[in-house]
Amino acid sequence: MNTEGSAPVVLAARNLVRRFGDRVAVDGISFEVRAGESVGLLGPNGAGKTTTFSMVTGLLRPDSGELLLGGAALVSDTDPIKRRLGLVPQDLALYEELDARRNLGFFAAIQGVGRSRIPEAVRSALEFVGLSDRADDRVGTFSGGMKRRLNLAAALLHDPDILLLDEPTVGVDPQSRNAIFDNIAELRRRGKTLLYTTHYMEEVERLCDRVIIIDRGRIVADDSLARLRHRAGAGAGAELRIELEEPAPETLTGILRDIPGIGSVRIDGRSVQVRVGSLAAGSSQVLGRLAEAGIGVRSFSAEPPNLEAVFLELTGRSLRDS
Amino acid sequence: MDSWIAIIRLDLALFLRDRKALVLLYLVPVLMAAFFGQLTGGTGGKAERSAIGLVLVDLDGSAASRGVVAAFTNDSTFAVVVTNEAAARDRVTAGRVPVGLVFPPGFSTNLLQGIFQSDRRPVVTLLFDPSHETERSLLEGMLVPKVVSGVADGLLNVDVGRDLIARGRTNILRAQRLPEIQRRLLLDSLAQADAFLESRRTSVARTNAVAGPAELPLPYRVDAQPLTRVAGARYNGFAHSFAGMSLQFVLMVMIDLAVGLLTERQSGTFRRLRAAPLSRATLLLGKATSYAIIALSTFVVSFAVAMSAFGVRIHGSWIGFVAVILALCYFSATLALALAAIGRTPKATRGLAIPVVLILLMLGGAWIPSFIFPSWVRTVSLWMPTGWGIEALDAMTWRGLDVSAVFLPVAGLVAVGTLLGGIAWRRFRWDGGPGS
Repeated sequence: MNTEGSAPVVLAARNLVRRFGDRVAVDGISFEVRAGESVGLLGPNGAGKTTTFSMVTGLLRPDSGELLLGGAALVSDTDPIKRRLGLVPQDLALYEELDARRNLGFFAAIQGVGRSRIPEAVRSALEFVGLSDRADDRVGTFSGGMKRRLNLAAALLHDPDILLLDEPTVGVDPQSRNAIFDNIAELRRRGKTLLYTTHYMEEVERLCDRVIIIDRGRIVADDSLARLRHRAGAGAGAELRIELEEPAPETLTGILRDIPGIGSVRIDGRSVQVRVGSLAAGSSQVLGRLAEAGIGVRSFSAEPPNLEAVFLELTGRSLRDS
Repeated sequence: MDSWIAIIRLDLALFLRDRKALVLLYLVPVLMAAFFGQLTGGTGGKAERSAIGLVLVDLDGSAASRGVVAAFTNDSTFAVVVTNEAAARDRVTAGRVPVGLVFPPGFSTNLLQGIFQSDRRPVVTLLFDPSHETERSLLEGMLVPKVVSGVADGLLNVDVGRDLIARGRTNILRAQRLPEIQRRLLLDSLAQADAFLESRRTSVARTNAVAGPAELPLPYRVDAQPLTRVAGARYNGFAHSFAGMSLQFVLMVMIDLAVGLLTERQSGTFRRLRAAPLSRATLLLGKATSYAIIALSTFVVSFAVAMSAFGVRIHGSWIGFVAVILALCYFSATLALALAAIGRTPKATRGLAIPVVLILLMLGGAWIPSFIFPSWVRTVSLWMPTGWGIEALDAMTWRGLDVSAVFLPVAGLVAVGTLLGGIAWRRFRWDGGPGS
């Protein structure tokens, strides 16, 4: 659901600054999230992503700047406005010695859910994540994926408007990951606002309609996925895949590397993969050189730029390796 | 072989990186060993022994009784306070002094007569705290040489005694103005005494030949009186041991809870709590309350067993007893929070908490009777909140003191608990520091 420009702003960060000693972790970050939006917060390790996320969730106070939830500033730890937030922490924030029902009951009480409404809130959350049949089992007996789902359920008990998901699929198997994706997709359908951090580009591409990229404490990109891709098409390049009629001659690598703006070149028999800076210019240059060298081309295709390429383009670093 | 060495090197490297563990392994045993060594005599002759508190009441006021008092006063084994009988009984009853002696009127006169006539022996009252049987036995044993040295050293010796009798007979015979009837009575008495001493010599010689040296019968009797406030209240060793052991295990549990608090923080649940409308004060208050409830449950179960199976009774004030228990729970709970706040990490907290709790227990008298402590340790132990609590529980159980006896200990425990709570409030962090 993309509600850009039409829905009210539910979360606004204004010029947030946070220092740890002499190190400036977050250096004047500003962004807005509108109701119903699903926003991915990306950044390499040490970029200031977690610090930003911590300030948004109230875990850290900014040194300067302000954070507005529904237009109101968060003024204290006990500010009732925090009930609009639901946090899914990266760590499994659960009590393994207790059963799922007791865990959720505790977190519901902490969130201010009335005592009479807690059983229903717990039942509903367990049903949402598909753990109703394990409600009375000790969490320590759950698989990693089940714990992740319960971790998500614990953030839903007080029916928050905004869900803050901090790498909610870390360390889970593909099946559980898909289950969590389904849960999050359902939350989007229900109109929840999502702020999502992850290292997995495909998660952002699948779940988010807007991406904020942070590097060295500053926002380097804040746009919709479509616009970022378009921007990447112009600047972030593409990957060309060429199938030759004959096995590639040994001189081909040198021929291709002579082309200005060429990136990586991989040759395996008749298969050639070339990264170019620009899809249009790059593909015509590569195909032209092959023709000049008398090398026949059986097939040709170009991969559109993905978010990983955008990230690389903007930060100069790979997301997972940084 | 390489793998074996690699494993050893890895473990040693990991261990050496854990400075808290190093402190625990090397420093704490040294400190504990030094402490216990000091308690049990140190290096020998130079070891300082603590004096046993002793109240003396001299109702006789004779030179002989003053001599006995002086003999005790000059003995560094005792820390003597001379006072009146009421004050002496109060001090022993309240447990401030373990033992006391009351020398009755006519002590010296009757002492001399008691040598020959057992029914004339004076009765020395020995007041003692029932929880200090050892001091009572020691004092009873030491009374003999003190009386001997202070009063009747000569008369208790057969040869010297007979010599004194001979000189007395000479003086009586020389006294020309003495009525004849009195002269005869005195001479008869001295003759009886001389015969008695001669019979003792024969008896002693016979006994020595068979079983070694024997003593003359004591010229006084001892009336040992265990003092408690309430009539019928009797000392029950279980009352003290249940108080000490309950507190010990409460504090042990508090170590686990302090470590658990930090483990909980590391697990990430605090992040979720921080995102909720919840203050740090509420979190700490909630933790302190739950810890106090856990401590309370330990005391309740322990004393329920002590009362039902071991005859422990609250001879003092129930209100006072409950107040002490609640104050101990408050102190224990805030101690756990303060340890977590100061330690900051589970490992560091465990390294800090173990010696702290051990010292609190040792100096508080939970393990070892405090009278065997050197005097400087006893001085330090006066500042141990654990000692205040255990003493106050004793006061409310077998001592049978009224509620006023726990005002000071309870106030002290609450004050220290509040101080510890303040430390926790200032130092405890519920976030794990900066992220990326």
